[in-house]
Amino acid sequence: MLDSAILVRRQEPGFARNALCYAGGLAAGLALSVLLLVWAGVPPQAIVNELVVEAFFTADGIAQTTTAAIPLILVGVATVITMRLQFWNIGIEGQLWLGAIAAAWIALGDVGPEATRLPLMLLAAFLAGAAWMALPLLLKLRWGVSEVISTLLLGSVAFLLVQHLLFGVWRDPATGFPISAAFDPAERFAPLGWGQLHAGLWVALAAGLLVWLLLDRTRLGFYAKAIGLNRTAARAAGMPVYRSIALLVLGAGGLCGLAGAVILAGTEHRLNQSVGVGYLFSGIVIAFLARSSPLAAMLIAFVVGGVFTAGGVLKVFYSVSEAVVVLIQGTVLMTVLISHFFSAYRLTRPTWKTAP
Amino acid sequence: MMPASEHGRPPALALRGIDKAFDGKPALSGADFSLAWGEVHALVGENGAGKSTLMNVATGVYAADGGAQSVDGRSVPLRGPGDAIAAGLGMVHQHYRLVNRFTVAENILLALGSQGAARSLREAAALAAEKSREVGLSIRPDAVIATLSIAERQRVEILKVLLLGARIVILDEPTAVLTDGEAEALFSFTRRLAGQGHAVVLITHKLREVAAHSDRVTVMRQGRTVLAGKPTAEISIAEVARHAVGDPLTRVERPLSRPGAVCFTVEDLVVRRDDGTVPVDGLSLSLCASEVLGIAGVGGNGQQELVDCLAGLLPPAGGRITLSGDDLAPQSIRERRRRGLRVVPSDRFDAGLVRDMSIAENLALTGVREGRYGSALLLNRRRMRDAALGAIERFAIHGAAPGRTTGLLSGGNAQKVLLARELDDGLKVLVAHSPARGLDVKAAQSVHALIKQAVEQGAACLLISEDLEEVMALSHRVAVMNRGRIAGTVPVAEATPAWIGERMIGHA
Repeated sequence: MLDSAILVRRQEPGFARNALCYAGGLAAGLALSVLLLVWAGVPPQAIVNELVVEAFFTADGIAQTTTAAIPLILVGVATVITMRLQFWNIGIEGQLWLGAIAAAWIALGDVGPEATRLPLMLLAAFLAGAAWMALPLLLKLRWGVSEVISTLLLGSVAFLLVQHLLFGVWRDPATGFPISAAFDPAERFAPLGWGQLHAGLWVALAAGLLVWLLLDRTRLGFYAKAIGLNRTAARAAGMPVYRSIALLVLGAGGLCGLAGAVILAGTEHRLNQSVGVGYLFSGIVIAFLARSSPLAAMLIAFVVGGVFTAGGVLKVFYSVSEAVVVLIQGTVLMTVLISHFFSAYRLTRPTWKTAP
Repeated sequence: MMPASEHGRPPALALRGIDKAFDGKPALSGADFSLAWGEVHALVGENGAGKSTLMNVATGVYAADGGAQSVDGRSVPLRGPGDAIAAGLGMVHQHYRLVNRFTVAENILLALGSQGAARSLREAAALAAEKSREVGLSIRPDAVIATLSIAERQRVEILKVLLLGARIVILDEPTAVLTDGEAEALFSFTRRLAGQGHAVVLITHKLREVAAHSDRVTVMRQGRTVLAGKPTAEISIAEVARHAVGDPLTRVERPLSRPGAVCFTVEDLVVRRDDGTVPVDGLSLSLCASEVLGIAGVGGNGQQELVDCLAGLLPPAGGRITLSGDDLAPQSIRERRRRGLRVVPSDRFDAGLVRDMSIAENLALTGVREGRYGSALLLNRRRMRDAALGAIERFAIHGAAPGRTTGLLSGGNAQKVLLARELDDGLKVLVAHSPARGLDVKAAQSVHALIKQAVEQGAACLLISEDLEEVMALSHRVAVMNRGRIAGTVPVAEATPAWIGERMIGHA
């Protein structure tokens, strides 16, 4: 008798099943995260307080969470773009650093009149992020060099560049610390009067909506879908494959650069060595959890922002390490990805009769 | 009721009432099969009739939902392929399972090692050499798989199966990738194997092979056994075909149109690969409006490269491609398509369709850039949907809805999606590469009917196919491609098998 169960692939899982499996994966991930935190020494009632109530249900908490979500929205939708094209950008932080450098350069050098200073910072950051993406893109399109390697390595180069500047020409003259001088008020986003929340939120929301329109409603988005799913067929259908990839991938790099400028102009108001840390991993987590949908990415960026906020509190009050916060993101990512398996397959138990 | 073999032994393999469903859709419903020792048994049916599924159940690859199986009279419950191997069942799959960078001996060791039948490379090589002598397959154990021909790789697979102790050998569409000569060699080998007491199952949809090379035939249709173990000598090809298809087989007819003026020419076309090989080497041909020019030939003589070059996917190293007087060689893929050159590639989910996009999106794949589905910026999804509904009805695409994923369609219906797109307005020259490959008889007929209709409406068609029957049935003129060139072109009435055969194997 055959007693082991077997797997059968579902042809069309259906929306309800997908949603249910996704929710189940999310719940399992959160449950595991709670266990992790308890194991790390956080009292259970504090977890509920900090992680859920403080981050999502108090006015201060929501302001904090939303503030953290602003750059996450930008790197999240940027990663959605590259993921649609099956272009694996592991250099999110590199492009973000370059954007931060460009914004700081405009701000510290007082380039242009004050009225256009902030828009100029954003523009420069976008262009710098795109430019940092240009080399891996060229290598990939021209010689087939793996973008995973080139973007990842250029990320480290970007960080060395930041250190070079902060330990050199941009070292704070007032304190001598390796941080840049503080930005002038004209180089900062206006506060919205609710916690640390600032006008950069509108930039992120607008960028997210634009990406959604671009990918789901425009011709270029249609090309991107076809190219990502079957590049040969897209080419044989007469689509402008290289141009589409170049345009979208550079745009994604630009959005990551923009995230750098938004962090500087929104919350930090100066360049330091920690503004870009953690965004590579978060951007990928967000895009995967959103199943490469820009709108879902914006929502999930908010949730991940909450994890950032709660993580900050947990770090300070319960001496939980930064690694645990990353671990929580990773755990939720893994369980949601695993949940996809249950919507794609089902278990059956075959019935074998013995031959007479 | 169990037909005992002429040796009075229990059947080598008996499958009774096998059920198997994939995600609720039945692939087998109560299928029976009985195989005797010492025979070559043909298992025949259209694509999707359940032949391969039934044999995959027998060899433990799929677990049946119900039914019983016995080998040599003993019941064998299968928990996986390992149990089937232990019971003496071996299957050579359509797609070989060999590591291309390994040698023959290394591949054998890989297969035997887990069974404990060979412990070292030297032992595996010795076993391989001994077995290949015993059964008369010439294989060098130290040859690297990548350097072997398809036929030789098949022999390695057979050897592997035999070394694993198979007494029942199942060959899944073994001749699909072989030349006629290679197929002959394979059949004389299976005959020898049966003579040595093995039982051989030949899964095929080529009816002529059945007549010439099997002792008995079992026909399957829609997951059921419709003809069980009939001696081949007592049945005609037509009768087997009638069982397989369900209704009388009607042959495809050539388009009724008369060829018009020359509209498409290829002159001295050369395609050079990066590795220095020249798969298309000075090929010339001309094609008239309302004409089908069929190009026969053994696969691998530059057909794929010719198609890719005409499509614009591979740049030519020299020569001219002229459509209505304009040179297309320097033109982009899009421009060729605009001028009426359309290509149906042999692998529809490679260069034709996007498996994970919807049917509406696939139908719009080429038209979006031409502005047929919205402006340069925005996409008009409603127009895509309406166009898809129209195409689904006009081309009778079964199981299709505009929003349904294309990969879920059967091969024939997916091919209709591709044809619906390519036969669209403005078609002048259709390059069709094995358009009915992998399709069952009915689906192949409807694909041929669509091509016929397009040609009768004035299009020219370059039909490149390894299926000689297809070429002979559809073409006005027949050409043979050999080593990257056209080895000769004649009107179809003069294309005798001898004429074609000579050019196929001759060194043109």
